[in-house]
Amino acid sequence: MHEISKTFGASRALNGVCLEVARGEVHALVGQNGCGKSTLVKILCGYHRPDRGGSVLLDGEPVVLPITPAAMRRHGVSVVHQDLGLIPSFTVTENIRLGRFRARRLSRAIDWRSEEELAKASLALLGASIDPSAEVDSLSAFARAEVAIARALQGRPKGGGLVMLDEASGTLPQEPRLHFHLLIRGIALDGGAVLLVSHQLQEVLQHADRVTVMREGEVAAAGLRTSELCEQDLLALIAPGASRPSTSGGGRPRRRHHQTPNAPAEGGADLGAGPSVTVDRLISDTLRGISFTIEPGALVGVTGRPGSGFEELPHLLAGAKRAQAGTLTLEGVTYELKRGPLRALRRASVALVPQARAAEGLALSESVLENLTLPLLSSRGRALFTGARWRRRLAESVIEALHVHPADPNAPVKTLSGGNQQKVLVGKWLSAQPKLLLAHEISEGVDACAKADICAALQQAAASGCAVLLASIDAAELAGLCDRVLVLRDGLIGCELSGHLRPERILAALEGAQAEQVAA
Amino acid sequence: MSTVSESRDVMASHAGWAGVLSVLQRFAVIGVWGTIIALYSALEPGTFDTSGTFQTIFGSQAALVFLALAFLCTVLVGEFVDLSVASILGLCATLLAVLNVTDHVSLPLSCLIAVGAGAAAGALNGLLVVCLSINTIVVTLGMSTLLSGLALAISNLTPISGMSASFGRIALTRLAGLPISFFYGIALALVFAYILGATPLGRHIRFIGANREVSRLAGVSVNRIRFGAFLCAGVLCGVGGVIVAAGLGGFDPSTSTTYLLPTVSAVFLGSAAISPGRFNPLGTIVAVYFLATGIVGLEELGLAGWISDVFYGAALILTVTLTTLLGRRPKAAPLRRGAKASDPLRHFDEAEAGLGATGGAETGERG
Repeated sequence: MHEISKTFGASRALNGVCLEVARGEVHALVGQNGCGKSTLVKILCGYHRPDRGGSVLLDGEPVVLPITPAAMRRHGVSVVHQDLGLIPSFTVTENIRLGRFRARRLSRAIDWRSEEELAKASLALLGASIDPSAEVDSLSAFARAEVAIARALQGRPKGGGLVMLDEASGTLPQEPRLHFHLLIRGIALDGGAVLLVSHQLQEVLQHADRVTVMREGEVAAAGLRTSELCEQDLLALIAPGASRPSTSGGGRPRRRHHQTPNAPAEGGADLGAGPSVTVDRLISDTLRGISFTIEPGALVGVTGRPGSGFEELPHLLAGAKRAQAGTLTLEGVTYELKRGPLRALRRASVALVPQARAAEGLALSESVLENLTLPLLSSRGRALFTGARWRRRLAESVIEALHVHPADPNAPVKTLSGGNQQKVLVGKWLSAQPKLLLAHEISEGVDACAKADICAALQQAAASGCAVLLASIDAAELAGLCDRVLVLRDGLIGCELSGHLRPERILAALEGAQAEQVAA
Repeated sequence: MSTVSESRDVMASHAGWAGVLSVLQRFAVIGVWGTIIALYSALEPGTFDTSGTFQTIFGSQAALVFLALAFLCTVLVGEFVDLSVASILGLCATLLAVLNVTDHVSLPLSCLIAVGAGAAAGALNGLLVVCLSINTIVVTLGMSTLLSGLALAISNLTPISGMSASFGRIALTRLAGLPISFFYGIALALVFAYILGATPLGRHIRFIGANREVSRLAGVSVNRIRFGAFLCAGVLCGVGGVIVAAGLGGFDPSTSTTYLLPTVSAVFLGSAAISPGRFNPLGTIVAVYFLATGIVGLEELGLAGWISDVFYGAALILTVTLTTLLGRRPKAAPLRRGAKASDPLRHFDEAEAGLGATGGAETGERG
């Protein structure tokens, strides 16, 4: 593909990206979250129409954009998405063959026997022994990944085609992963092309021939030979240094990093007295018993690979999702997280800023003012009258503090831009003056200015004695904001980083390398 | 800076227009109502514009007002269409008449039993929909048929009449030329509007209707309020049933289901009046009498009884179509609440919405 750009509204997700994947090679695409990898893949599978001016050539022929499913099939382009895209209540055969069913000649009914054979054949390519009549629901996570990969592999023309794998091996354990790597090598040897989107740099270095690094919608380095690279080189290309002003813009004073975690935040001598927030042996579907404490005024980050359990932590600690076991102690009171004590924790001033803004964060059809004051209605309003003045004042102060635009408390939230909606969401919970703030991807999909406002607000909350837990996969954001970062691995705390945090240290810890190596 | 002030000016003029438009929208239904009255008065001078006609319009809708407000309870918390309200009212009215006339139970006790039955039916709806999360339409459709069947059974398939005339006074006492049941409906709607507009409970109800998960995470007891809405709907139907039976001196159980469609029409039309785009009690009351005016006028023009079905049905479809079309007009971020969990592109879509919208903010701040 050549000179591909993609604009969403006024923000450019891709800016003149060129990418060439040769036949017979495994080409890796790496970069931080939000750098445009997925957008690129989605253009290549026809989901997005790129901006005018770009072109995509398949087997040397230019194709009409956006790419149609028919063109994809003709050239053997297939994709395995990050979340696999399987229909849970359907069988393995149905999932693999959906869209390609062959009907019997006379009755026009689907010939299930031959369908099952075809499904079995594509599973056999992967060496997977999965019952084709099983429902996808009943399969383990890695068996599901195998089904999705098998689906992408069928019908590939001999000696051609392009298979795109968007983080597809993430859920595979060691043994099938080995098989998976053999398989993609097999495709390449066969004359096909493989585009491997991955966060796992080890995998990239070992199994890809060339690698393209993307950064902020542009290609930072194109088609580097992996044989000439080491992990540090790649990390430096992905996140070039801590000097990047990624979290605090506009010359705002950054939080100093050399604070010890126990020291209270700026000018908070009286805050040190408050007892810490303690999480004890938290067990859930993905977490296997983690314990930690957050001091009042501390900003603690949690991160990990998708599936490591860090994504669940905010909801579990807020009591919005039931844990299997574990307790949270806040101001001397211990809460059983098994019961999902959402309302009790809300009363104890625990705030949750969820990732899914439209689904869980804000009621989009309601006004800014209504959304901002919702959490405080019961405590500040009287039973027979909500009161108007405090709500108005609160909304105006949040709008001013976070620079919400337009500055109209009565505008329905859906008329605001994404960044401003996020500010409203953060403001909604900060104005409740929480003792513990749990946030999940607090600045996802938000432009730099809004991000700076949000980060500043978080730091201010911490400075006034709030304990903050920030779950994020954005290493630069964590490095810029947090005092400490917990890196989760397979449901346990893999390592804890403190002191001088740099994005590449966090990334290295994510990749499983020894943190000390990079810290030096 | 100039761009900012320019854009502000543009916005201000937009705001001005929006203000005028919103006032127009607010009172559009009332305006149309007035036009219809004027039209009928011109078409049938001497018949339509008499106090008798107005007494018919405003004095005969007590059942519909109670039903519409009961229906509103559940629609407000986001339960789409409670189909059982009319049958609950019918059951309660029948029960009261049967207990009092056939079984000679004392009036206060029969009233209590009737309202209790309404509450029980509402609670059963709530139990199934809220606690067991069964689909609202399935539950209430089944409940509707079940209860109207029960009403027919206890009345032996015959209309019951012969309740004491003195009891009828609780519904028929005249006040300013109108039966007192009219004022019950108005008072109820005002109380309802106050709760919704001014109290924390009202905001919570609105938010549950707008986004259940957001409300839950904000610490609102979502399920308790949803259950309460069904219970309240049942009680309102019970009280409505008592008043209807009192007014008629009995009840014909076979008529109860004919109330359902007018109820739904009124509530949906009501969402276009007073506070447009929102289901609201005062708008609902306006809509009830608006629809009654339309029908009485047409009947006085000489059209037969079938006209009410045609009118209510057409009104329902028209209003819902109009509100949907009007609701599409603002450029809202694409919302895909119904996106399936298995949709692989779902996350991206949301990210796109976020990214797409961010641009506006950026340019605004830079200017």
